[in-house]
Amino acid sequence: MSDPSQLTAQQAAQEAFLAKKKAKKAARRNNALEEANLNITSLMDVVSIIVVYLLKSYGTDPVVITPTAGQKVPMSRADAPIQDGVPVYVSQRSITFGSQRIVQLDENGDVDPTQVQGQLIAPLFDEMSVEAERSKQTAAAKGEEWEGTVILVGDQNLKFSTLVKVMYTAGKAEYSQYAFCVIQING
Amino acid sequence: MARRRKKNAEEGEVEANLIPVMNVMFLLIPALLLAMEVARFAAINVSPPKFAAQSEQKEEDKKKDEKPLNLKVFIMSDGYRVSASGQQAGAEGGKSADSSKPTIPLAKPGSDLKDFDRYDYAALEAKAQEYKRLYPHETVVTISAENDIPLQSIIKTMDSLRGRDCKLMNAVSGNEEVPAECLFWSPIVEAGAG
Repeated sequence: MSDPSQLTAQQAAQEAFLAKKKAKKAARRNNALEEANLNITSLMDVVSIIVVYLLKSYGTDPVVITPTAGQKVPMSRADAPIQDGVPVYVSQRSITFGSQRIVQLDENGDVDPTQVQGQLIAPLFDEMSVEAERSKQTAAAKGEEWEGTVILVGDQNLKFSTLVKVMYTAGKAEYSQYAFCVIQING
Repeated sequence: MARRRKKNAEEGEVEANLIPVMNVMFLLIPALLLAMEVARFAAINVSPPKFAAQSEQKEEDKKKDEKPLNLKVFIMSDGYRVSASGQQAGAEGGKSADSSKPTIPLAKPGSDLKDFDRYDYAALEAKAQEYKRLYPHETVVTISAENDIPLQSIIKTMDSLRGRDCKLMNAVSGNEEVPAECLFWSPIVEAGAG
């Protein structure tokens, strides 16, 4: 059997402990919230490096090739870099020049015969002539010699007859150099 | 004096709010990634017929002692017809061309035109190597095709004629000469095969 005086002392100690705990809790609650400082300087460094790298790789390409929707650019082992020039996108359904769809192709990939004069695709010729004239003036203002280069971004299934028509039209619009855009493969 | 020191100490603790800058940076990253080329693009420089004729003339002036090869490859639906110096390879004796059979038949006879591996590219490359041994200075090849031949088959034909180990990157940049492994790397695209 335990002594009643001992029990009272234990209870008093317990109460004192609880009171102290409560007081601490109250003090903690009354304290103003400390502002947490997130150090983002190192993160900022990493992000800056990534942005500079991306900007640099974006800026070194002389021509940005953005194939049209559904267009499959041919694959090749060629490794020559793309030189500066004007891209002409020829998908299976249309011919796009200067971000504008110029000619619609039929389901066989042929140009509408009403838009062709011999081998010349008339609407494409008009647009390319305007662009050639503009480029010539820009080159003359810079004191440079104008090199009419066309980058033909064709589809894998583009028919040879359509390709020849596009090349002929570009030639008539005074573009004298041609390059086929391909996706580089190894091996 | 003491007040100024205190003011300076307070100014030293001021931190720039980088959150808006970070927001802009985080928007720039996906924008630039989208604008970047996912695939690596390359170019095959092609000459139109009239300019090629001029360059051939210049080559002839340089090497008057060497007879021009005038290599032509016609991509037909049944295979390649290869001709050099106006004579089709494999044609019957006394005939300049034999329209009944191709010089290099299809690797996959009866396959669809959209099957880009239907042509025997290895045999064409071997043929190009034969001609290159005979005419080491020649680089020009005229390529023509039937109307329905897809661009990918034409590109693969150009690859074979250029040679498997041909690397033109440095030569195009103007740093080096064209490597000896390159066979016929200057193609002319010409209409009229069909």
